[in-house]
Amino acid sequence: MPSSGARSTRIVPKHHPLVRLTHWVNVPLLFGLIASGLAIYWAAPVFFHAYDPVLRTRDYFVSLGAGIAHLLGDRSDPRLWFYNHLSLGPQQLAVSLRWHWALAYLFMLNGALYFVGLALGGGWRALLPRRSDFAEALGMMRYYGGVIPMAILRRPWPHPDIRSKYNALQRSAYFSMSLFGALVVLSGWAMHKPSQLGWLERLFVSYDGARVVHFVCMIMLGGFVIPHVILAITDGWDTVRSMVVGWSTRVKESSHGG
Amino acid sequence: MVDEPRDREPNPRREKPEIPAPEPPERPEMPKPGPPGPEMPPREKPTPEVPDPKPPNGPEMPPPSPPEQPTRPTQPEVMPRPEPAGVPPMPPGPEVPPPRGPEILPPERTVGFFVERPESVLEVPAAKLAAQSRRDFLLLGLGIVASGVGAWWLLPDRTKGRLVGVERRDRLDTVASRIGLSRENREKTLDRALTLDDDVAEALYSRNRRVRTYRRSDVTPLKNNYHGRTPGPEHVAGWSLGLSGLASGVTEKLTLEQMMSRFPHHEQVTRLVCVEGWSAIAWWGGVRFADFLAAFPPAAGARWAALRSNLSLDGAGRNEPYYVSIDLETARHPQTLLATHMSGALLPLAHGAPLRLLTPVKLGLKNIKAITDIAYTADEPADYWNERGYSKYDGL
Repeated sequence: MPSSGARSTRIVPKHHPLVRLTHWVNVPLLFGLIASGLAIYWAAPVFFHAYDPVLRTRDYFVSLGAGIAHLLGDRSDPRLWFYNHLSLGPQQLAVSLRWHWALAYLFMLNGALYFVGLALGGGWRALLPRRSDFAEALGMMRYYGGVIPMAILRRPWPHPDIRSKYNALQRSAYFSMSLFGALVVLSGWAMHKPSQLGWLERLFVSYDGARVVHFVCMIMLGGFVIPHVILAITDGWDTVRSMVVGWSTRVKESSHGG
Repeated sequence: MVDEPRDREPNPRREKPEIPAPEPPERPEMPKPGPPGPEMPPREKPTPEVPDPKPPNGPEMPPPSPPEQPTRPTQPEVMPRPEPAGVPPMPPGPEVPPPRGPEILPPERTVGFFVERPESVLEVPAAKLAAQSRRDFLLLGLGIVASGVGAWWLLPDRTKGRLVGVERRDRLDTVASRIGLSRENREKTLDRALTLDDDVAEALYSRNRRVRTYRRSDVTPLKNNYHGRTPGPEHVAGWSLGLSGLASGVTEKLTLEQMMSRFPHHEQVTRLVCVEGWSAIAWWGGVRFADFLAAFPPAAGARWAALRSNLSLDGAGRNEPYYVSIDLETARHPQTLLATHMSGALLPLAHGAPLRLLTPVKLGLKNIKAITDIAYTADEPADYWNERGYSKYDGL
């Protein structure tokens, strides 16, 4: 070793540079895709409730936004609250479409980079669900459920002994996020080019089927972020940092993370 | 197995074996669940100091490497700084503590760039680790700043005004335009996204690919989506279609009767998709644009049809011509109609009486209603919605 005299640190390699890069690039891309996607959705909602004569709408989001505005005491137009705060805004269809295409191509590029890296490097195997995952996932859920009660009771509550890179819950989560990522792209193309890619549109049964799938994928991808961030932060700085630098200093219990 | 790391491709099936990377006599240790067999090839060492590594014969594993498995160097190619020094972390198994490997710095770092490194303990000089950390966090910070600045730059003016107030928005925009992030550049950049997508759409297009058709019982309500007021009935009686840009050089005038009697009538039940996201299945009837083109061939070199309605009205009821550009490839598609009928009757006013374009390979906004003029051109003509920030090709 060249630096035999210097202080050294014991680390465990964690995340491949491509995984880290594509992970962080996804953050602004998904943010922008959702913001522009909801602004596109504004132009023609697909989920309707019975007509609300007060708000003059059938759009769930308008009603949801009006409810939030009421709770917050927001005096602005309640009908526009949702699209004003969670999208690029109402009446922004042309610019939102341009945003959405620009970001969608970047998202596909980013996803392709991720999948190609996983395929060439073998990293996909760490994400593939295993036969033992069901039992292990139950164990992990039991563990997570007990963390706070046991902390209050001051009882030891050891993390299950996980020997693989990810535990079963992480594997299923990360694996399904990859699936939803692929599905969101496919359903997007199905509604973007239903004539030339008619086979893809049929895969989602109908044009509106693709819209619904696209929407559900957005909910799944966006909704995943909440537990993902909470778990990563509760797991500790080492876990968060490992997604930036690629290594962990948790040498003994190097097997779990957010 | 011969050790030829330089000549081999990265091994795509390599999983992180849970053993330290650089040690020569390695042996995959924990069999992974999952597809049995060729997933854990032996690791081999690229350095010449080491005698030919033999395929490992681990005690707990079936011979893990089928001969077709290509090998590759095993160094931590990606992050070359951490020097391996380690004890294998894996508790089970009669692992022989691997001898400390000699200094290995792979000469070809890129060869195995993609390879997932094993989760084995490495001992790295603290200073190197700190430097790498700094670099990575700096990159993350730069990425955050770039995303923030980029988002600000690309956001619609109205959204920005709502976010920070009009006054502060204008001040920030002034600063941004000083570093080139101006409104004009924003429009140019976003337009490029549109033209890229248009190019993709045009590449996907095939005149021979028919669009899905439906049964008449599948028809759904189709709303009147005139962006202004709907033209009244008074123009229909005296209507005629002006046709120019023809090979003959003359300007033709065609009445509805001529249109309907001269060409075969075609019917189709197809979906009309609006740029807004809604769609409707409708039953259309009319003349194939392809037949029309054959009867009135365009001048040599024409690639576009400029379709125009001088009957369109704006929201206040004033005359506001509507015009679209249609590439002749699309016009020649067998399901592109100059439609005269809907649901078995003459077109209603709301849907473009007396003649409209009906092409299911384009978004609804290209399906111009109440056409009054068709001109064939060599260059792409103007398009109403393209001038308002939408795509120009609009291929579906």
